[in-house]
Amino acid sequence: MTLEGLDISILGPACVAGLLVLSTHVPLGQQVLSRGIIFIDLAIAQVAALGVILAQYFGVDEQGYGVQIAAAVAALFGAGLLTMTDKRWPQYQEPLIGTMFVLAATGSLLLLANNPHGGEHLKDLLVGQILWVSLGQLVPAALFSAVILAVLWFRRGTLTGLWFYGLFALAITASVQLVGVYLVFASLIVPALATAGMRGPQRLISAYAIGAVGYASGLALSAMLDLPSGAMIVWTLAGCGILAQFVPAVRHSHPAQHGASAHASAAATR
Amino acid sequence: MKKIYFAALLCAAIVPGPAHAFNVFACEPEWGALTQEIAGDKVNVDVATTALQDVHQIEAKPSLIAKMRRADLVVCSGAELEIGWLPQLIKQSGNPHVASGPGYFMAADYITTLEKPTALDRAAGDVHPEGNPHFQMDPNRMLAIANSLAGRLAELDAGNAATYKARLADFTTRWQAAIKKWEAKAAPLKGKKIIVHHMSWVYLENWLGLERIGALEPKPGIPPTSAHLSGLIDIAKSQNAFAILRAAYQDPKPGDWLSERTGVPAITLPFTVGGDDKSKDLFGLFDSTIDKLLGAIK
Repeated sequence: MTLEGLDISILGPACVAGLLVLSTHVPLGQQVLSRGIIFIDLAIAQVAALGVILAQYFGVDEQGYGVQIAAAVAALFGAGLLTMTDKRWPQYQEPLIGTMFVLAATGSLLLLANNPHGGEHLKDLLVGQILWVSLGQLVPAALFSAVILAVLWFRRGTLTGLWFYGLFALAITASVQLVGVYLVFASLIVPALATAGMRGPQRLISAYAIGAVGYASGLALSAMLDLPSGAMIVWTLAGCGILAQFVPAVRHSHPAQHGASAHASAAATR
Repeated sequence: MKKIYFAALLCAAIVPGPAHAFNVFACEPEWGALTQEIAGDKVNVDVATTALQDVHQIEAKPSLIAKMRRADLVVCSGAELEIGWLPQLIKQSGNPHVASGPGYFMAADYITTLEKPTALDRAAGDVHPEGNPHFQMDPNRMLAIANSLAGRLAELDAGNAATYKARLADFTTRWQAAIKKWEAKAAPLKGKKIIVHHMSWVYLENWLGLERIGALEPKPGIPPTSAHLSGLIDIAKSQNAFAILRAAYQDPKPGDWLSERTGVPAITLPFTVGGDDKSKDLFGLFDSTIDKLLGAIK
């Protein structure tokens, strides 16, 4: 037990980064869950990383915006592909996403066999570390989150086809570099899952609350127990999701024996 | 910073005994151990990584930032070994004393590194433009670094300069005697052919006259190709390899795989202080390394 890391100037930027990621991922996560394509974030992150490696393969400058543009273009390309498969074979969307994930991940390995330096950036893209977040990263991240939230609000929260996949791809590409792929997955899925039976603004508020408490308590615990912050937050997020089930308003929304029908009705409302 | 000095002074005034006024942040255990040899209880040493960690990459913990924040001196290998996390950690700590200048001590700056590429050719693989950064396994370079580190400590903490000088002299005597002992003991290892896991042992090979005939994973993080592995089996058998070397933190599977197919023993060496039970300090690290190598001869 140590208190030396429990310092707002150490944990503050990380906490802000977490809240920014949550702001877009909580509403997006509800859509991901109702579409039943929960591994899409892993697939998109891998495709973005593959894009960066390809860009280096063709001699794009590895510093600065070149990498970001390559990642975004690749992620959007992946999004376009998934929109197409969603239209043609909606019943196979989840296995197709899984296949895309392994193809992108192993494609990176095949390309890197001749370009080991890309490996450093592959790691940077997939394993962003929430504690290393700097103010210089937070400002663009805040602007970016605002844009995504504006689009979500403008579209009244219902995203279809390319709108959903495109927006999702850009949001994931940005957030994975900020907090890493584990936290992105947890931020998307856990708050949405914990509130799966609820509806409308109430659900959104509950999910935001679960996410915010999860991030704050995870950062504090990681400081006190001296454990890696990203991994700790994943666990506190899940813990908060379970604790939320003891809140009557959350629990009554999806009683266990009617779980299937509650989920179906939630899906039907979107 | 002033507050810390003040608090430390206060403690020194009230509590008799060592005053931990001077804080050293060491990236790897070997630099923590070397600082301890030279400074003893005059400094407080925080070590960022353990022998069982791959120092190329570490997980971010809040305590690391807190330790960096109170550091008066950062002691690391340099040569880009910690490039994946040290610059971010220093930046995040906002500690101007260690960002550059005297508070920033990179051991690689005080020795000549091996495998420094003459021309930067990215096609050659995982090339460190500053040369191979795993030089802690060369006791002669270690001594050169000890000299520079003692000078730096004396410069930053002038009040204890005499202690640092005396302790360096004592360490030098003991270390030079130990080098003679190790070299005599390790004489039978000269010319032995080894296969390494990664290119982590260049300095040890150089010092003891070991001959490297192959590497299991020439590109870290990229699995070796089947052609490379079958070539390695041929080399190990035809050239009569003596041992397969790996560090305590490395995955034993590739080495065991090759060992099984060739009958060449795989040895896990401590690689740094804390890498096995005997490597409690720098002397123990070299004792244990040489004992383990000699053990493979029988």
